Amino acid sequence: MRSARPPMLRVGSAVALPLHPRSLLWTLLLLAALLAAAAATLCLGRLGVPLPELAGALTGDASPAQTFVLNRLRGPRLVVALGTGAALGLAGALFQSVTRNPLGSPDVIGLNWGAGAGAALAALALPGVVPVPLGALLGAAAAVLLVTAATGTGLRHPGRLIVAGIGVAAMAAAFTQFVVSALARDQASVLAAYVNGTLSARSWEHALTIWLVVALTTPLLAALARPVALNEMGDELADSLGASAARTRTSAITLSVVLSAAAVSVAGPIAFVSLTAPQIARRLTRASGPNLVVSALVGALVLTLADLAVQHFPFADGLPVGIATLAVGGVYLGFLLVREWRRGVL
Amino acid sequence: MNQTATNEKTFAAADTPTGRGLCAERLTLGYGAAPVVRDLDLRIAEGEFVAIVGPNGCGKSTLLKALGRVLRPKSGRVLLHGRDIRAQRSKEVARQLALLPQNPAVPESITVRSLAARGRYPHHTLLRQWSPDDEAAIGEALELTGLADRADTPVEALSGGQRQRAWAAMILAQRTGIVLLDEPTTFLDIAHQYDLLELFADLNRRGRTVVAVLHDLAQAARFASRLVVMDAGRVVADGTPGEVLTADLVHRVFGLRCDVVPDPRTSTPLVIPHERRR
Repeated sequence: MRSARPPMLRVGSAVALPLHPRSLLWTLLLLAALLAAAAATLCLGRLGVPLPELAGALTGDASPAQTFVLNRLRGPRLVVALGTGAALGLAGALFQSVTRNPLGSPDVIGLNWGAGAGAALAALALPGVVPVPLGALLGAAAAVLLVTAATGTGLRHPGRLIVAGIGVAAMAAAFTQFVVSALARDQASVLAAYVNGTLSARSWEHALTIWLVVALTTPLLAALARPVALNEMGDELADSLGASAARTRTSAITLSVVLSAAAVSVAGPIAFVSLTAPQIARRLTRASGPNLVVSALVGALVLTLADLAVQHFPFADGLPVGIATLAVGGVYLGFLLVREWRRGVL
Repeated sequence: MNQTATNEKTFAAADTPTGRGLCAERLTLGYGAAPVVRDLDLRIAEGEFVAIVGPNGCGKSTLLKALGRVLRPKSGRVLLHGRDIRAQRSKEVARQLALLPQNPAVPESITVRSLAARGRYPHHTLLRQWSPDDEAAIGEALELTGLADRADTPVEALSGGQRQRAWAAMILAQRTGIVLLDEPTTFLDIAHQYDLLELFADLNRRGRTVVAVLHDLAQAARFASRLVVMDAGRVVADGTPGEVLTADLVHRVFGLRCDVVPDPRTSTPLVIPHERRR
């Protein structure tokens, strides 16, 4: 029989954390891929800093034009993309695990669109009164409560969750369009930002917001990873193992709402990164549980690559990245719906 | 067999008179307004194999959940080794008492070994998610359930009988003195039913206290040292299978006319239902 002892992260005798070898391998590979995608984001195209000069430019040896590109155009955009993708991946991993349902993702059940509506309202109707991130948070929370109330069975039944989510998402999107067309009629780019999500014209302030939220939630996520995994076996078993199922679920949903709201407040309701990242992560690692680290890395990579694609897409200059993820992710959602329907889950 | 330190302590204290074991005191349980179990008293001593039987909806699963600290009583309390189970930390309880519910969900892409390893959760802390006993506990659980050579197989790929054994491995790895089982043999074919019950009887002989909700009266009588019969939320009979399982009781509780004859092999009572007269 093979040894039962997994590889372990040890710090003296106080810390012993078992590591999953495939997850470790993919963490390293994804970090390398992220580095490459980041370099490509800064280097490609007419305005890009040529790769040989990149290291020098980043350490302070940049021409004024390069400084402008790195500091104002692509630098903040890249940093926001990485943080937002990670936040969306984490939010999706938590929510899918807690609902025991691959379709129970924040972007399928209307949470992101609720956050978008809240952000639009805060930014356009109440500028300076309600900060945009707070508006997004309230919108996201309202969407979750609406979905939970509308299903009549909480967050348990996948089919009802999706139907209620579609309704809430449609209402939220309609509300957003109403706010935008009433108050910012002339600005198509504003509409795009609040309806689809975009990463163009991001500032360091946006970058700070999203990374601050990711950093502050990380210790909580680390503490929650194991209880969330136990919840996948059912409430009774989780309770009997000493991990309170109800408390775990409330904490995980709260964190998921906070992460989604933060992502939406800096980049709009970008679709389907939350849905796909955790499932790609699961296929890569073949590990049970919520796969938080790898889901975050996959989310960051997916969003960075999608943004890279729209920045260099030949026919549509300035295409919002949310439209790209919507188009690709929509196909995946269709595939998933058919699969779950065939399995008799819906 | 190499027991853990906790279990050695448990067994050493077995004959002290301070109410070791599980004890329900005036327990009233329910989910909505109407109680399912009313004013129930039950004392389970260490080392017993207790089978709880009764008709559908009599409250036996509900009672098991309360004994396992999963359901909060409406009134009354459950004592574990003399202390209120709700006054103790949940992980502390989980180191002494394991519960296998009726339909646990198999997490996606989990292997048999990882499933067994989840039983070690109550022995861990946030920073120490691996304890020195883990390797031995998991290895032993896989040996006892006969799954040692399937350790790296995904649970989803197992047959029903093996899957139920994998869940058993998880609660064995938990290494508790008391094991609560809610209809562990449902959905298994007859060979796997006996197979699993033999496993729990064997654990009982090695010193674990086993409390199982069972449907099959013959199986309950054959494996348990004590039968607790419930009807409409109350205990209506309690004793050794030979004393308790009579034709009269089966008629009274289940509404089934029958003969009770001794099993030719084990001489435990067997229920032979009468054919229905029209």
